[in-house]
Amino acid sequence: MKLLLVEDEAALRRTVVEALRQNGYVVEVAVNFTQAYEKIKLYRYDCVLVDLTLPDGDGLDLVRALKSDGSPAGVLVLTARDGLDDRIKGLDLGADDYLVKPFHLSELNARLRAIIRRRQFQGQHHIVFRDLLVWPEQNEVTVRGEPLALTRKEYDLLLYLLANPGRVLTKEAIAEHLCGDQIDAADSLDFIYTHLKNLRKKLQEHGADNYIRTLYGVGYKLSLE
Amino acid sequence: MKLLTATTRYYVPLVAGLFALASGLLLLRLNWALRHEADEQLYSEQLYVQRLVMREQRLPPTLFAYQLSRSTHPRPTGFSDTLLLDSVEHELVPHRQLTFQLPLAAAGQSTEWITIRKSLVETHDLLRVVVGVMLGALVVLLVGVVVLNHWLARRLWGPFQHTLARLREYDLQKHQPLSLPAPPITEFAELNQALNQLSERLVADYESLREFTENASHETQTPLAIMQAKVEQLLQTPTLTEDERTLTLLGELHQATRRLSRLHQSLTLLTRLENHQFAPAQAVPLPLDQLLRDRLAMLEPLLEARSLHVTLHIADNLPARTMHPGLADSLLHNLLQNAIKHNQPGGTLAVSLDKSAFEVSNTGPAVTGDPMRFFERFRKHNAASDSSGLGLSIVQHICAYYGFRVRYEYVAGSSWHTLRVEFT
Repeated sequence: MKLLLVEDEAALRRTVVEALRQNGYVVEVAVNFTQAYEKIKLYRYDCVLVDLTLPDGDGLDLVRALKSDGSPAGVLVLTARDGLDDRIKGLDLGADDYLVKPFHLSELNARLRAIIRRRQFQGQHHIVFRDLLVWPEQNEVTVRGEPLALTRKEYDLLLYLLANPGRVLTKEAIAEHLCGDQIDAADSLDFIYTHLKNLRKKLQEHGADNYIRTLYGVGYKLSLE
Repeated sequence: MKLLTATTRYYVPLVAGLFALASGLLLLRLNWALRHEADEQLYSEQLYVQRLVMREQRLPPTLFAYQLSRSTHPRPTGFSDTLLLDSVEHELVPHRQLTFQLPLAAAGQSTEWITIRKSLVETHDLLRVVVGVMLGALVVLLVGVVVLNHWLARRLWGPFQHTLARLREYDLQKHQPLSLPAPPITEFAELNQALNQLSERLVADYESLREFTENASHETQTPLAIMQAKVEQLLQTPTLTEDERTLTLLGELHQATRRLSRLHQSLTLLTRLENHQFAPAQAVPLPLDQLLRDRLAMLEPLLEARSLHVTLHIADNLPARTMHPGLADSLLHNLLQNAIKHNQPGGTLAVSLDKSAFEVSNTGPAVTGDPMRFFERFRKHNAASDSSGLGLSIVQHICAYYGFRVRYEYVAGSSWHTLRVEFT
């Protein structure tokens, strides 16, 4: 999977690139509008991550350029602006999704996964993780061939974990993924515990033991071994 | 009260009073003068009659017969008033009369008392005319003064009315100073000049505030985004996460960063709402019912965790409401989240949406304090709570932005808290 990250802020760029590479993506970067414009004209990417506020241009123009070229690349808009205005404009122009800064890197992973899945495989794609097999478009999960019945939120949670194998997912990131990024989760993070407990129990019943590790006080992690 | 009415109220009684006083004085003085005149005449007639008698030693029988009466009985002498029947007009007419004693001793006759009279009818007519003219003049003067004032008000106060109209329709959002003209009247010219300067300062201040908001929003979100991403990456370092103490520290750091950025987003949203920085062009017709269902579905885990029972009433055939999608979402979300946050475990959440209002009710313990203050910023029911305390303030601002009315009600008996947004 080859990605292009267009981001002018060096510190943020380094961290995002690092996180994406850890997740197995091939990442190229563009630090400004001109560079990004050249790269999208010259190369093909599976997904382009565009920061809207660039020193020498508007990120939305990059989205426009990609769309007018008929590029198959997915577009994920990153915005530091209020978000309320840009997300509408971005989605209207044909961007696949948007994320308002500051975002959780794990959320970025999950959104990227979803975009690439939709674009590249037209849904005919499955995720394999240890004994798990997931067909995202059919909402089907099997453990060693046996179907696993999950509630909507448990399923969302599992997909979120699968998008971030081996990464520590904070409780905040999980809560915002499940309830929308507007949720002021400060008062009410405990609900994640219930969902995780249920998911873990169902996995365990099908012999998929110790898939989810708890990091006390911080969050959870999908264990690779 | 209009300025004109106020001044008229003062000077009309004054003018009327002065006029009444002047008329009264004039009446008295004129009356006195006329009487004096009559007295003089009568006196001269007395002299005439006396002289006549002295010469002829007897009275001619027809002299002044109509205004003379003779009597041998004593009468009080001197001037007096009387009413006599006028034989021509058949009405009682006031007369002034003078009675005197005639010593007709030479003729051997007994003493006679002569009374001579003079009609005062003409005097009265004169008085009536004078008073009539005075009153007429008073009325004309008053009407004239009032009309003149109204005309002057329109003419002289015209620039003032113009300024007032301009001020009324002045909108800071347009970023235009007032630029009022300089009318010929000094006071108004000074007023306009002062207002022009004021509006220029306002526009400049507003502009810098707006720029600050925009810059602050962008400039602070970036370092926050970096902080958050770095902490998240730090959490992925296996050597660090092995140690529970480090892990806890990192977890708390991550939470604080998130809270800070959320707080920042909320404050930026509030500032933008206060400054009306949402382009009307971005408002689109929204199906609020669909939005509400989506929001509730998203919050389901929270509802489940608190074992809250939700009753949802959505009226049929709701018209789409033209709003900014982000603001509509924020409005619904904040109201729902507020009702969840302040609910009691196992409580109920009643949501209803119809053509005229959106209502969220929740069970929960009574809260102390003035309900109007719930909408204040950083107002928290529980001071130790981690929530920002901005939710209801955002609700109020969004409602104000769209001209909706928002009300809080509490029914003590059933412990129902209701927040009602009326679309008007």
